[in-house]
Amino acid sequence: MSDPRVLDGNAVGGLLHDVFGAEVTAVPCTCGSCGARGEIARLVVYVDCPGVVVRCPACTQVLITIVRVHEHACVDLSGVGRLEL
Amino acid sequence: MKTLELDVDWDGHRAGQHLDVRLTAEDGYQAQRSYSIASAPGERPAITIERLDDGEVSPYLVDELREGDVFEVRGPIGGYFVWDGDEPEPVLLVAGGSGVVPLAAMARHWKRVGSSAPMRLLYSARSWDEVIYRDELEHLGIGVTYTLTREQPERWQGYARRIDDELLSEVAFPASEGPRVYVCGSTHFVDAAADGLVRLGYDPASIRTERFGATG
Repeated sequence: MSDPRVLDGNAVGGLLHDVFGAEVTAVPCTCGSCGARGEIARLVVYVDCPGVVVRCPACTQVLITIVRVHEHACVDLSGVGRLEL
Repeated sequence: MKTLELDVDWDGHRAGQHLDVRLTAEDGYQAQRSYSIASAPGERPAITIERLDDGEVSPYLVDELREGDVFEVRGPIGGYFVWDGDEPEPVLLVAGGSGVVPLAAMARHWKRVGSSAPMRLLYSARSWDEVIYRDELEHLGIGVTYTLTREQPERWQGYARRIDDELLSEVAFPASEGPRVYVCGSTHFVDAAADGLVRLGYDPASIRTERFGATG
């Protein structure tokens, strides 16, 4: 994954802090598709989409999308199996 | 390249954390960038900014910002890419370009707390002129190895190539010592370094990575 547009979960730590109200980059996340488990910091992140897309590094399943609409963050967590907050 | 010291109202930071800077124009347009915190815990947060000519944020921060100016900062951010100073394992820091910034915070913290964990920094830069904090890094007491990938000073004795498995094997602690690893740089650099260390027998779980985007 040496696409230079690809970052990791560290890059959205601030945004996710706003969403969850806590620091979550060290929180383990389990993929709802393949079951791979790893800290949010290890997930694959695209920030140059309309919004932010977070994917599983193992199977590329979309785990989280966050789109800002005016003052609201629209968060889709439907790809996540489990977040150990 | 410029380092800004920030006067913020928060309860300190951890070595390796970053913060988000948000600038708002008069018409309401906002631009946000993440910057690693360069200073050690216990010191005022400082950020080091590389000026990118076509950037939206870095030219303002480097050229126009004056002491006393106020802007919006969110942080400190991160609980994964951090080193707290009380971990006993040897620490290998691997920096690509400006990825050295959060690792310098760890090295400064190592010195401040008098850590007895061996610490080594492998720093890949394009040229000697692009090595940030070089005078300080030399005097912290950690082991520092440079590789200059594009241009080397005359009579340069050090490495002069991109990181590869042979270079890593010569610089890194043996995997058997169970080192903790922090790698920071561009996505390509981070992948190359982390993959190489895994081939040397490093446990992938011991390698913490942070990828930088060049968004100015």
